[in-house]
Amino acid sequence: MELAWYALLGLFFATYLVLGGYDYGVGLLLARRPTAPATPEHDRAADASSRAALNAVGPFFLGNEVWLVTAVGILFGAFPTLEGELLSGFYPVVLGALAGVVLVTAGVQLRSRPRAQAARAGWDRVVVAGSALAALGWGALLGGLLQGVPRTASGHVTGVGHVLTPFVAAVGLAVLALVAVQGATFLTLRLPAADAAPVARLAHRLVPAALAAVGTAAVLGLLSDRVRAAVARPAVAVLLLVALVAALLVARAALGRGRAGVAFAATSAALALPVALVGAALWPRVLVSTVDPAASLTVADAAASGPTLSLLGWLALPLVPALLGFQAMCWWVFRGRTDGRAPVYW
Amino acid sequence: MDPLLLARLQFATTTSIHFLFVVVTLGLVTLLVGLQTAGFITGKPVYERLTRFWGQLYVINYVLGIATGIVMEFQFGLNWSGLSRYVGNVFGAPLAIETLVAFFLESTFLGMWIFGWHRLRRGVHLALLWGVAITAYASAYWIMVANAWLQHPVGYEVRDGVAHLTDFGALLTNPTLTFAFGHVVMAALVTGGTLMAAVSAWHLLRRTPDFLLFRTSLRLGLITMALAVTGLQGFGFAQFAPVGDLQPTKFGGGPDRDAMVAEWTTRFGPGDYTPPVLSNVGLGFMILIGFTLGCVWLLLPLLWRDWIIRLKFPLWLLLLALPLPFAAVLLGWLAREVGRQPWVAYGLLPTDQAVSPVGSGLMLTSLVGFTLLLGALAVTNWTLLARHAARGAADPALGRPPAPDTDTRPHPVFA
Ligand code: HDD
Ligand code: HEM
Ligand code: HEM
Repeated sequence: MELAWYALLGLFFATYLVLGGYDYGVGLLLARRPTAPATPEHDRAADASSRAALNAVGPFFLGNEVWLVTAVGILFGAFPTLEGELLSGFYPVVLGALAGVVLVTAGVQLRSRPRAQAARAGWDRVVVAGSALAALGWGALLGGLLQGVPRTASGHVTGVGHVLTPFVAAVGLAVLALVAVQGATFLTLRLPAADAAPVARLAHRLVPAALAAVGTAAVLGLLSDRVRAAVARPAVAVLLLVALVAALLVARAALGRGRAGVAFAATSAALALPVALVGAALWPRVLVSTVDPAASLTVADAAASGPTLSLLGWLALPLVPALLGFQAMCWWVFRGRTDGRAPVYW
Repeated sequence: MDPLLLARLQFATTTSIHFLFVVVTLGLVTLLVGLQTAGFITGKPVYERLTRFWGQLYVINYVLGIATGIVMEFQFGLNWSGLSRYVGNVFGAPLAIETLVAFFLESTFLGMWIFGWHRLRRGVHLALLWGVAITAYASAYWIMVANAWLQHPVGYEVRDGVAHLTDFGALLTNPTLTFAFGHVVMAALVTGGTLMAAVSAWHLLRRTPDFLLFRTSLRLGLITMALAVTGLQGFGFAQFAPVGDLQPTKFGGGPDRDAMVAEWTTRFGPGDYTPPVLSNVGLGFMILIGFTLGCVWLLLPLLWRDWIIRLKFPLWLLLLALPLPFAAVLLGWLAREVGRQPWVAYGLLPTDQAVSPVGSGLMLTSLVGFTLLLGALAVTNWTLLARHAARGAADPALGRPPAPDTDTRPHPVFA
């Protein structure tokens, strides 16, 4: 029972990283807005390209973010103990990610409401900053889980200095790079065919950067005593890491051949795999204590008691297919490339 | 500074900002459903224009509802880890159900509604708005289930110091839920109605060209306001019975309160079990506003032959009334939430045991940071709302038809 809920939690968070990942990736790419000659025509062109990018995300944006909201809902309902310890134990990291999510939410939806070009350019910067914060924050959270927390016998995580390590920073940067690749690949798939070629080239160039970032994080992890101690299943961890690298290589090859769909599937896998990696590597524990092995929190201990889980289970059984169905309807209705004529709203 | 105080201040600020936006969401979406349905049935263009104009304001307002809501959700884990540790088995369930049943679909539907104009069949597009409205109400309901449980914990038993769920049905029949939910829904309708009436009044006073359009929304807003304010007063007074029975320490003294305090003193040790007086102040001013808004019935006869527009001063009154419902909802929540102090879960979990063991420096950073961030976003959002409201219904971005047809014919999906 706990395993099923843990898997569902992982599914929702991983899907959030995949779908939210392209929101944030597209958000990061708004930074490409050239600053050079500030002529009105230039500003209008820059604005149009920002809008085109955001409207490619358009109908999916709200539905993407809600995977996070629901992941936290599942966390609270099915793993209350974990919810409290995880979020308060990683306080600064969660704060950063949350600020990022809020900035992106507001920035994307409000940027086109003012008419002045300067205000719109300002909102674009908000979206860029928010996207970076969100990607770094969630990456750092995953890295932090993988290196364990100073949880004492009292059941609380003490202090917050434990997140200040090179490994956590490297995982944050790796997720940032993965998100940027995801965004560029998504735009390759969605923008009108004429505009897709430059972003495809950009995505192609970003993949090596992502590979380098993932590689750095992997090396730092192997060198870190805390990570080695926390990982209960090194073989699985290495296997999933290899799969991640392979996904990135597939993405690069596919981008080179103009197979944007395949590339997007591969970059999506690359964003989902870190979640699987963390879950599987630590299993059956979820918060590994670095100070007192007996104080580690297992998935079973973190779970809500039987009646709560079975209540939620009976509810989720018919509901989850319906939720997926409506999301699929959204993807189906708005499938294909934007055509430059479709109603522009963001 | 005391982390407990900081955590409480942060909860109070974020929730208040959240509620100022969601109360509008809940009210406006109801009116929008009416407008779009009327447009679908009658086919009159005025309804489509009304839907686009009010829909635009609704969608702008929605942004901050989501942004603040996400902060709310994380706040439980960040600042109130004791809440999940001791009562998470029970309190977490309605919150989890809410995200699964309500938010997930609400956001998915809303995204499709915003981008679905001229692309989906009109019936499908209308159904999406109905979906948004139903899930918005569901979300308010489940949040109120959670909140009512904190007001009056039921359906649980404590084993090893942790509450476990025994009877979920009891959470749904909680006496502190039924009337409170009705009261919140009516408050939302009053707020939505007042907003619609006030914005329309402004346009009518300014004599902007869209006379017929704003005349229609003035009438709709005013009638909604009048009907809902009566319901609001009814549910409001009805709440006194359960609150008086179940929370004797909340509003005022008497033997019940003394008995309750004596019981807690034996169970939890001596302490200050009376809530801050702020609660009663909130209650008093809210009721005052409730009676003031009730006077809207006096304006209804003036709808005859548009006297309300010709006389002008009633329109000014409506404009002046706009801040009242917003003030009242905050005062009402102060009454309800401050009145349950010093408990997070009334008589079960003291507030100081629920706060996370986080340093006050971090807590302060979070309080100041998020208050500034959400405050700035809220002000920006209201500025944008005011500008779009003033701009009028000539050509809102929402639902704008696609650029002139160059080659292909538009092919609706789900045709
Ligand atoms: C438009 C806003 C508005 C107005 C005009 C009123 N209320 Fe209210 N009231 C609310 C909006 C609200 C609220 C924000 O929605 C609250 C907070 C919690 C709740 O359930 O509803 C609330 C709470 C609340 C409570 C606290 C319940 C508790 O502590 O558990 C009582 C007793 C009343 N109301 C009673 C009234 C009465 C008798 C009113 C006037 C005739 C009135 N309210 C007008
Ligand atoms: C009575 C109090 C509350 C009511 C009536 C209410 C209602 C709503 C509604 C209608 C929305 C939809 C967005 C919008 O309308 O702008 C919303 C959003 C949200 N609320 Fe609340 N809410 C309340 C309190 C809370 C609390 C205490 C939490 C914390 C758990 C919370 C968490 C959220 C979240 C996470 C969202 C964003 C969901 C999304 O992305 O769609 N709300 N709320
Ligand atoms: C949206 C309207 C709401 C407003 C304006 C509001 C307001 C407040 C205020 C002012 C406090 C601080 C009380 C004090 O410290 O004296 C508070 C605390 C709190 N409220 Fe609410 N509240 C709202 C809805 C909710 C809901 C729906 C829930 C639960 C689902 C909730 C859960 C809590 C918790 C856990 C605390 C912290 C513990 C405490 O101080 O009692 N609130 N709220």
